Amino acid sequence: MKQDFFKFPMHLIVHPFDGFWDLKYEGKGKVKVALVIVFVLFLTFVLQRQYAGFLVNYNDPRTLNSLAELQYVILPFFLWCVSGWSITTLMEGEGKFREILMATAYSLVPIILIYLPMTLISRFLTTEESSFYYLLNTFAIIWFLYLLFVGTMTVHQYTPAKTVITMLLTVVTMGIMVFLGTLVFSLIQQIIEFIVNIYRELVFRI
Amino acid sequence: MKQAYKRLLSRTILGVAVCSMALASHGTAVLAKAPYESYTYNYYEEAVPAPDAYLPERSISGIDLGIGSFSTPQDLFVSSKGEVYIADTGNNRIVILEDDWKVKKVITTFEHDSKEDTFLSPSGVVVSEEGNLYVADTEHKRVVVLSPEGKLMQIIENPQSDLLGSSFSFVPLKLSVDAGGRIFVIARGAYEGMLQFDKSGEFIGYSGTNKVRRDFADYIWRLLASDAQKKQMQLYIPTEFSNLDMGNKGFLYATNVDPGSTEPVKRLNPSGEDVLKRYGYFEVKGDLVYRLRGASGGPSRLVDIKYWGNGMYSVLDALRGRVFTYDDEGNLLYIFGGIGTQIGTFRTPVALDRMGNKQLILDQGKETITIFQPTEYGAAIQEAVANHHAGDDQRAVEKWREVLRLNANYDIAYIGIGKSLLYDKQNKEAMEYFKLGMDRKNYSVAFKRYRKEVLQEHFGTFLTVTTGGVVLIIALRAVRSRSRRRGEQHEAGLF
Repeated sequence: MKQDFFKFPMHLIVHPFDGFWDLKYEGKGKVKVALVIVFVLFLTFVLQRQYAGFLVNYNDPRTLNSLAELQYVILPFFLWCVSGWSITTLMEGEGKFREILMATAYSLVPIILIYLPMTLISRFLTTEESSFYYLLNTFAIIWFLYLLFVGTMTVHQYTPAKTVITMLLTVVTMGIMVFLGTLVFSLIQQIIEFIVNIYRELVFRI
Repeated sequence: MKQAYKRLLSRTILGVAVCSMALASHGTAVLAKAPYESYTYNYYEEAVPAPDAYLPERSISGIDLGIGSFSTPQDLFVSSKGEVYIADTGNNRIVILEDDWKVKKVITTFEHDSKEDTFLSPSGVVVSEEGNLYVADTEHKRVVVLSPEGKLMQIIENPQSDLLGSSFSFVPLKLSVDAGGRIFVIARGAYEGMLQFDKSGEFIGYSGTNKVRRDFADYIWRLLASDAQKKQMQLYIPTEFSNLDMGNKGFLYATNVDPGSTEPVKRLNPSGEDVLKRYGYFEVKGDLVYRLRGASGGPSRLVDIKYWGNGMYSVLDALRGRVFTYDDEGNLLYIFGGIGTQIGTFRTPVALDRMGNKQLILDQGKETITIFQPTEYGAAIQEAVANHHAGDDQRAVEKWREVLRLNANYDIAYIGIGKSLLYDKQNKEAMEYFKLGMDRKNYSVAFKRYRKEVLQEHFGTFLTVTTGGVVLIIALRAVRSRSRRRGEQHEAGLF
């Protein structure tokens, strides 16, 4: 328990090359842990939006909706994993889907580790000091991107250049998937509307 | 019997009639409703309902005054004596009214070189501190200055300067005059800014040019266009000013009708730079939310501005017939007015001015002047702003509380009270008020002081706890290591 949930992720984020290797070849990563990490990340964002200090929190409290946060965390996460898997299958990547999922999730750990305490600390910061808040949050994102880069590289056994290209293509694929998704939804909606209209017409005639 | 019944019936009817009349008149006096919906903008730039700050009192036409109806009147000015000057453009006359709405004088002619001279479409009028009347005699292409007695003092026409091209034609539209007798004129086609004349009527130069705006798309188009296409393209010229008013201390308030500009209101210092304070949540530009297309779509078209004193100024939006009033720092205080046919709404508003606490709006389309009276709410805001401007925060807070009683969503009132609390070192309370008013900058100041206060107060406790904790940890370690050693001894003894 402690080994899986704390020790290994902590080791991984500071020793990424070593950590991701262990994740792929030594079987140290667990999908269960990955899912827990994504869920905790979701909670982190919800907490930050709700409880970050007044001076750094520009959210309109009337628009806060924890469930809506799902679409900003969980959805992009799975979208990334699926499109990453699709792309790497074409680009001779060695990674399996569960490895991609785990590598992505484990890379998100720094965001949790930094965002959660910063939410608390931001309540005690003045405007001048809030630049620390933004600095550390940006740092967390950079750290995450670095880990994601190393993770992708290790999982698929790519060269750095190929990794960058793959990641960019993954983002493009995500866009295509979102587009197709909206298209399908819109078409379904129109079909439903059409059926409803026909039903109405019939009801009025009879 | 029958007669008695009839009498009773007629009496009842009379009684009911009298009662209902009394009720009706009473009702209108108390429940007078504005013919427009008052609103204001909140922190999130949403239009939210607000109490009426001004209500229409009456409207006056030329016929009411007994001088025949106005014809496309263009400008209105209230002198320091309270006399109302109207540039009745279509009738080529200047109408002067007393402050009790009686006609004092109608100027149609004046003596010029011992001959009768007239105006032709005068569209701007202003009166100096000494009572001299300045008229922008538009179609005669001159500015006429008359003494309080109606004698001609000066005529400014056809200014000569290297700054003005040879083809320049001087068509004055609006003007203003400062305490030193300098005259500022907005002229048709003078894109370089306002023309400035000295006391003797000599052209000094331009003042306050509007900047040319070019967006990126325009730039790309120009890059791609051929020379022939470029010739067809619109020229990038600065917009003209639409109106101006002399503020205090020689600052000139001016508006322009540049569509899409974020700075349609300007406060020009004596050297012609824009120094308007824009510290509010949003830009000083009239409406923030509007339909983009349609008859009343697009950004506000500000056609007149009036400085109220105490840093407050009002601008008039001709497009939607609304008056926006701002304070010294650029906070939007209240909005009233609208387009319509009732008293209190306008067809084509062209000019506004103040008379004491009342607002006068000149409507070119209806050919009337509408008088607006402040409500309790509007008056409270004005007093609060005035007190705050004068530095009397104690009185200002009282008024702000009154405003909050009438409109609990009035952010500026929260900020005003917060500022006063901050002054009194009630930092925690100030924080609350700044938070309600969404003022992050001042909240930060209050919070910093409060944090310092708390830290100083609890520094002793903090130190005690820390020292105690350290001592405890050391003690615990000592005990643990001793018991371990003893265990080792035990083990040693066992075997």
